[in-house]
Amino acid sequence: MNVRTPLGKGKKRRTLAGMPTLLWALLALAGAAGWGVIALHSGETVNAAWLVLAAVGTYLIAYRFYSRYLAQRVLGLDDRRATPAERHANGRDFVPTTRWVLFGHHFAAIAGAGPLVGPVLAAQFGYLPGTIWIVFGVVLGGAVQDFVILFASMRRDGKSLGQMAKQEIGPWTGLLAMTAVLAIMLILLAVLALVVVNALKDSPWGVFTILCTLPIALMMGFWMKVWRPGRTLEASFAGVALLLAALVAGRWVADSPAMAPYFTWSATTIACAVMAYGFVASVIPVWMLLCPRDYLSTFMKIGTIALLAVGILVVLPPLRLPPLTRFVDGTGPIFAGKLFPFAFITIACGAISGFHALVASGTTPKMLLREGDARLIGYGGMLMESFVAIMALCAAAVLDPGVYFAINAPAAALGPTLQTAAHAIQQWGFTVTPGQLQALAAQVGEASLVSRTGGAPSLAVGMAQIFSGAFGRGLTAVWYHFAIMFEALFILTTVDTGTRVGRFMLQELAGHVWAPLGRTSWYPGTVTASALVVGGWGWFLVQGVHDPLGGINSLWPLFGISNQLLAAVALCVGTTVLIKTGKARYAWVTLLPLGWILAVTMTAGWQKMFAADPRLGFLAHARVTLNQIASGALASDHGARLVFNDRLDAAVAGAFMLVTLLVVATSAWEWILVLRRRRPAESAETPFVEAARVG
Amino acid sequence: MSVEFRRLIGALRRVAGMPDYDAYLAHLRACHPERPVPTRREFFDQYVTARYGDGPTRCC
Repeated sequence: MNVRTPLGKGKKRRTLAGMPTLLWALLALAGAAGWGVIALHSGETVNAAWLVLAAVGTYLIAYRFYSRYLAQRVLGLDDRRATPAERHANGRDFVPTTRWVLFGHHFAAIAGAGPLVGPVLAAQFGYLPGTIWIVFGVVLGGAVQDFVILFASMRRDGKSLGQMAKQEIGPWTGLLAMTAVLAIMLILLAVLALVVVNALKDSPWGVFTILCTLPIALMMGFWMKVWRPGRTLEASFAGVALLLAALVAGRWVADSPAMAPYFTWSATTIACAVMAYGFVASVIPVWMLLCPRDYLSTFMKIGTIALLAVGILVVLPPLRLPPLTRFVDGTGPIFAGKLFPFAFITIACGAISGFHALVASGTTPKMLLREGDARLIGYGGMLMESFVAIMALCAAAVLDPGVYFAINAPAAALGPTLQTAAHAIQQWGFTVTPGQLQALAAQVGEASLVSRTGGAPSLAVGMAQIFSGAFGRGLTAVWYHFAIMFEALFILTTVDTGTRVGRFMLQELAGHVWAPLGRTSWYPGTVTASALVVGGWGWFLVQGVHDPLGGINSLWPLFGISNQLLAAVALCVGTTVLIKTGKARYAWVTLLPLGWILAVTMTAGWQKMFAADPRLGFLAHARVTLNQIASGALASDHGARLVFNDRLDAAVAGAFMLVTLLVVATSAWEWILVLRRRRPAESAETPFVEAARVG
Repeated sequence: MSVEFRRLIGALRRVAGMPDYDAYLAHLRACHPERPVPTRREFFDQYVTARYGDGPTRCC
């Protein structure tokens, strides 16, 4: 055993690495068997169990061997070195936390709607491309990024990604990274809000349940703040119980002719309500709304994901979607663009997600008990998230392909009635009857499921099938709305925390111009900044709601591109840290995913801007719209707005690409200077302090 | 309350990012006995303000 790397000795701890060789050989065989079955049975129906087996087998092998290589050789984790949690222990944010508890905390923070929605949308290419990208993308890319950034932040007293970019690469790069984060957040919030809008429109049951979360959160807030101060857990359990009661009551509201009209909201109404909610949550004290909802959604999220895993293992459903569909050629109805690059940006979270770098350099590094734990939490936590993505993919793939496309294709492709929808889907080579669609909608307690784009409703239908198969039939409608409520709940939690964080970032940036604007406690500044942030993402949300192509087609790729470009920024920071700490010969571990991500996003970004197909290229769509206005086919004021939005989307894509290229260029320049010894390899790593408790 | 139950409660709190008043008091007693001890409510206020103060705490 190498003396410099005392990891893996695992004196008393029982670790995964301590398992006998025979078991690892069996695991490798199981994983290989999973992949083998998937590969050999194309054309026949494959059971979801093989997908799960292939994924889990690969994860465990990767964790055992690749993450150990990263931990010992590349990063050199050292349990004798005191972590920030030990050196700065304050009982508040710097708290040494045992590894499985911290694993849960970190996982709850990184898992959100992204890994659930992306794989469902990418299933338009079939289940195979998504599966391969989710599994190998995470092993070689996403988990490496999370691990390296968590490590870098841990060695720098829990510094954020922006601060590290500033320290390690340069002040301008730091500023660029911060601006990029703010812009990405706006697109992220818009597209997630659009997913909620599409899931809740014309659904009194869903709207009622989600509206109930507001009084429930307020009640929890008063419980924790006034009635029984600090008793957060009991308030949360009461909240969860009330939420489940609201879910059941929703059916009664939807069935009541007197009540239902009050909760049947159009897409525009819901969009305005979500914006108003985001604004209010950003300006009122956090304990009233934001913090209780955060707790509520954390427990719901962990519970539901565990339930889904159990459901899949109990039911072992067959995958009815083909491994590959004809839409790999770029003519897909859900979003335009070929398999490469669009499968790789549609699935961001689950394979690699730049946003994680913000969490991995946020609360988690301040809570690590031992350096060695960073491996389980950074690398292992991301593997777990990838597994969630695989489960979401399974939930989409258990649907009848005809049903899947009926739910996810926009109205523009399916036409106004069930008959036109069934006809369009037959043209694509899948069969579904109007009666089948009507029966399914009735079964889940909705008026219609056709063209409910955004991924959430089809995921909910798939989850409802799995849940009712595992835990009792006859409750399909309740399970469907449970799944919708769970997705809407934590998407709205992302919307409120995201708006608030965006507000703080904007105030910080504005503070450089005029100091009072930077004071987050100054009320006029707070209100203005909140309104600006809500207006920013709200613009894109409203654009998505009115988009003739369905909104998801333009906004989801934009989100994917921006999230993956943030990953590129994070990988640049990671590479710089490696090179500056004398690990240049290992820099390939971050350069490899960086190269792939740049190839994918630059191709996708370029195509979204300049492709000749108006469904794909923003500028081509603007040209088509201008022609329609000229020929009188489109009202000029409506058309002018579409053209403006197309050009704005193109500009946003271009700006993201430019910012990323600047970050990559300044980073590469720094690497060259250091490698040529023109600049000393100095890193801002905190000096070694011996840990108090060893072993 | 048994030790296991208390440990479970503590773990749940930590996972959800909730304040842990008892742990904070223990830290104060051990490391800074001279500092004033906040009430449960004061600690809750400080904790929540700090936690949602800066930087994203959640991913997409």
